[in-house]
Amino acid sequence: MTGLVRYQIIEKIMDQITDALVVCTIGHPCQELFKIKDRPGNFYMLGSMGMASSIGLGLAMASDKKVVVLDGDSANVMNMGAFATMGFNTPGNLVHIIIDNEANGSTGFQPSFTARNVNLDQVAKACSIPNVTLVEEASDITPAVSKALAADEMHTLVIKAEIGLMPGVGIVPLGAVDIRDRFMKAVEA
Amino acid sequence: MTPTDQLYERLRASGLDFFVSVPCKLLDGLLGRLRGDDDILYTPVSREEDGVGILAGAYMAGRKPALVMQNSGFGNSVNAVCSLLNYFEIPVIFVISHRGSTGEPVEAQKGMGDAVTGVMAASGVSTLSIDHPDQLPRIDSAIAAAFSEGRSLGILLPFSFWEAS
Repeated sequence: MTGLVRYQIIEKIMDQITDALVVCTIGHPCQELFKIKDRPGNFYMLGSMGMASSIGLGLAMASDKKVVVLDGDSANVMNMGAFATMGFNTPGNLVHIIIDNEANGSTGFQPSFTARNVNLDQVAKACSIPNVTLVEEASDITPAVSKALAADEMHTLVIKAEIGLMPGVGIVPLGAVDIRDRFMKAVEA
Repeated sequence: MTPTDQLYERLRASGLDFFVSVPCKLLDGLLGRLRGDDDILYTPVSREEDGVGILAGAYMAGRKPALVMQNSGFGNSVNAVCSLLNYFEIPVIFVISHRGSTGEPVEAQKGMGDAVTGVMAASGVSTLSIDHPDQLPRIDSAIAAAFSEGRSLGILLPFSFWEAS
């Protein structure tokens, strides 16, 4: 375990992101991302649990920009088939980051499958994602993210996190169409 | 031209340029045409809901997206349709083989075949049933309206369409 909660991990990731597009999974991750670094290039996926990886794949296939998906372990179990589709296409501009706190954090931290029997890095490898890294040390997060962002092959990072929320994080105060419109402008820019 | 070839030509002429699919026996010929088309982006998807997500991403990158599938796939997609496509006003064109329609040999297809139009209506997706290839010109204005209004559209293709000569 990295000893960090998801908020701290998102901070480390966003420290390195300049012009990449970011697709963020539902719930607390969106709220944390908004507080850490709101920008038009963030797509806050406020509904449709599980879809962040699929949205990121479609964006990466249709755009030349780097696309980073900030995802969760339970969301990936919910849409595990997306690993097959990502492994079929493996766009070189896609970085899929799963912050794995082994819990359904947004619904009360019920234990998730990764706490017991699912290893998402192995799922990604079995689906032929070309570069898969399991990150278990806090000091490895920044180098792993940096390498994935600089690469021209698809990367999946599974970053182990502690359970926990930061105080003072609130809802994303943006309308859905506003999020979409400014995001589409950032894609086009 | 076969119904499949007429459908393919019409979909391409309407400007659709990013296709994903889940197979159906009735769609086999169309999927072959899509696989061989170098002027579009195309991928098979694991499940229809996965396809909805991919197409939402493609739309936000400026593409005109379509999901080719059986009607059963709409049942697999309802939450993503309502809380992703409708919520963010992202239009996707669903090109649907309507299993369970008159002529269906597989009894298990009847349940979703009967339900699909109502499920789509309840999900805020308008439908257009093309019962014969002669009706294909009707999809042009429906697709154009879907993109201009930011709402998704289902094009239902029952057995009568595929079996027309």
